[in-house]
Amino acid sequence: MAALEYINIKKCFGPVTVLPDISLTIPHGSFTVFVGPSGCGKSTLLRLTAGLEDVTAGVLKIDGEDVTDKQASARGIAMVFQSYALYPHMTLADNIGFALKMAGLPKAEIRRKVESAAEVLQLTPLLARKPGELSGGQRQRVAIGRAIVREPKVFLFDEPLSNLDAALRTQMRVELAQLHKRLGATMIYVTHDQVEAMTLADRIVVLNKGVIEQTGTPMELYTRPQTLFVAGFIGSPKMNLFSGKVAAAAGAHTFGVRPEHIDVSENGGEWRGEVRFVERLGSDTFLHVEVPEIGLIIVRMDGTSTYSGGSTIGLTPRAGFTHRFNEQGAAI
Amino acid sequence: MKTVTTATTATAARKIKKASLSGTLARAAALSIVAALVILPLLATFLGGFKTVGELRTSPFSIPAVWHGDFYARILGDGAFWRFLGNSLVISLASVCLTLFCASMAAYVFAQIRFFGSKYLQSYLLLGMMFPFATAIVPLFLQVRDFGLLDNALGVILPQTAFSMAFAIVLFRSFFRQLPKELFEAAHVDGCGYIGFFFRFTLPLSTPILATVGTFAFVQSWNNYLLPLIILNDRARYTWPLGIMQFRGEFLVEWNMILAFVSLTIAPALIFFVITQKYIVAGLTRGSVKG
Repeated sequence: MAALEYINIKKCFGPVTVLPDISLTIPHGSFTVFVGPSGCGKSTLLRLTAGLEDVTAGVLKIDGEDVTDKQASARGIAMVFQSYALYPHMTLADNIGFALKMAGLPKAEIRRKVESAAEVLQLTPLLARKPGELSGGQRQRVAIGRAIVREPKVFLFDEPLSNLDAALRTQMRVELAQLHKRLGATMIYVTHDQVEAMTLADRIVVLNKGVIEQTGTPMELYTRPQTLFVAGFIGSPKMNLFSGKVAAAAGAHTFGVRPEHIDVSENGGEWRGEVRFVERLGSDTFLHVEVPEIGLIIVRMDGTSTYSGGSTIGLTPRAGFTHRFNEQGAAI
Repeated sequence: MKTVTTATTATAARKIKKASLSGTLARAAALSIVAALVILPLLATFLGGFKTVGELRTSPFSIPAVWHGDFYARILGDGAFWRFLGNSLVISLASVCLTLFCASMAAYVFAQIRFFGSKYLQSYLLLGMMFPFATAIVPLFLQVRDFGLLDNALGVILPQTAFSMAFAIVLFRSFFRQLPKELFEAAHVDGCGYIGFFFRFTLPLSTPILATVGTFAFVQSWNNYLLPLIILNDRARYTWPLGIMQFRGEFLVEWNMILAFVSLTIAPALIFFVITQKYIVAGLTRGSVKG
């Protein structure tokens, strides 16, 4: 049985339609990531799930039960906000135990549950403190603790790592993945960061302008993007996409190849071009190659590459790793 | 060459020091003048209570030649003084509590809930702020009389609360609006409703504005003269501004007694301010959202 079912969900804000028609099932115990550019409706979809917004039309089911018109607190979900939204005047213990207190649990049980959640998140020594006395990472852990303690059917994360610095983000990403493994709960995670999406998800839902472009495992999206948008969105640097003669020769409207799937040679090659710019990241080197009649192509090479600007090289797209799209942007 | 450079640097440094010194002096002078404007009348009032009426006439601002403590003693020993003070305190505290309670709830609705006519109602309240108290005094008197509240503390408390509501609601609403929206959403997901959120979050996080509005309402009520004057006729129910009148004789006004009386009645208002002052601190929501 699916943990979550969206059936023809529509959401309008006044005259603006944000989500025209979303149908989606999310399996039990999965880590699903909604990803897309800002304004694509991913956060709105999450807020609809949480019950913070009302759906305009459609049905939402959690664990087979219709929760479309249910209060947020009655849906069996827990949400972690981008800005943490900790209660500033309460101690960590009160913050984490607040939902249980609202549910009317006995004090001893609340304390037991809060302590076990704090242990999981290594917050035990901080329980008497207030949110103002914590670092960003600790606050994020408290926000997660507040969700864990309710033992919800579904966890909802709204860009929870975007306020943290890069090092902390990597660390929290690993912690979140471990948490998902340990709890085995269904988690939905919203982000615009494709690295987070690729590393955390076992299923990614790519949204664009309120429409689901593709749903699949991270590697499916990477190796077999079904639309032009997904091809351009997943992968960094972006997939090289060309239209015109090259595409026509391949029998498509748009032809794509990822920077890491182009072989470079001194002589010969399918296309020949001049290296305009070299980016060295240490582990990788990106060559920006200007090919006449095609345009700029980015090629990924390993860090030891010695090509420099001005040299002319040959490029050959690796067979079996190219992508073709029709005029509507769908994969052929 | 080197010495010359050092010397120039030293002069420049001295110049900067001089500039900042004169700046500090100017600032201190300006602040002293402002402080004097506030302190001197208070001091004159306080010292006036130690002088005889004759001395008060001849040298109103000087240090008393002879310190007559008996005027203060007479007022403190008078049961009527304590009764006036008690009446004022009851009326003021009741006005403050009622204002804070009603205004914060009304403002919470305006800040949190969007409903039809909300803007219209808010403008209507703003209109109330433009209405001077004195112009309403006759209809107010008639209304209070019809309610049968003449010579009753409630006859003063209720109109005072009504008149401070508009101002209080405007202040509360703008403060409540600044509370992060995610806080309410998080509490909502945790199972806390609108009313619960008001008591568990809005009020505890709004102590600065509660203290500010409370102080305003208290001082306004404490110093109110006109309303008690028309509502309260029974001497036993007089508030302190009415009580001052007892020192006005047929031929002679006992200014020294009035000054001593005023000095003593300022104290409760000061104490109230000192208590609320420590809550009038911003930044209480620190740590809730982001850094």
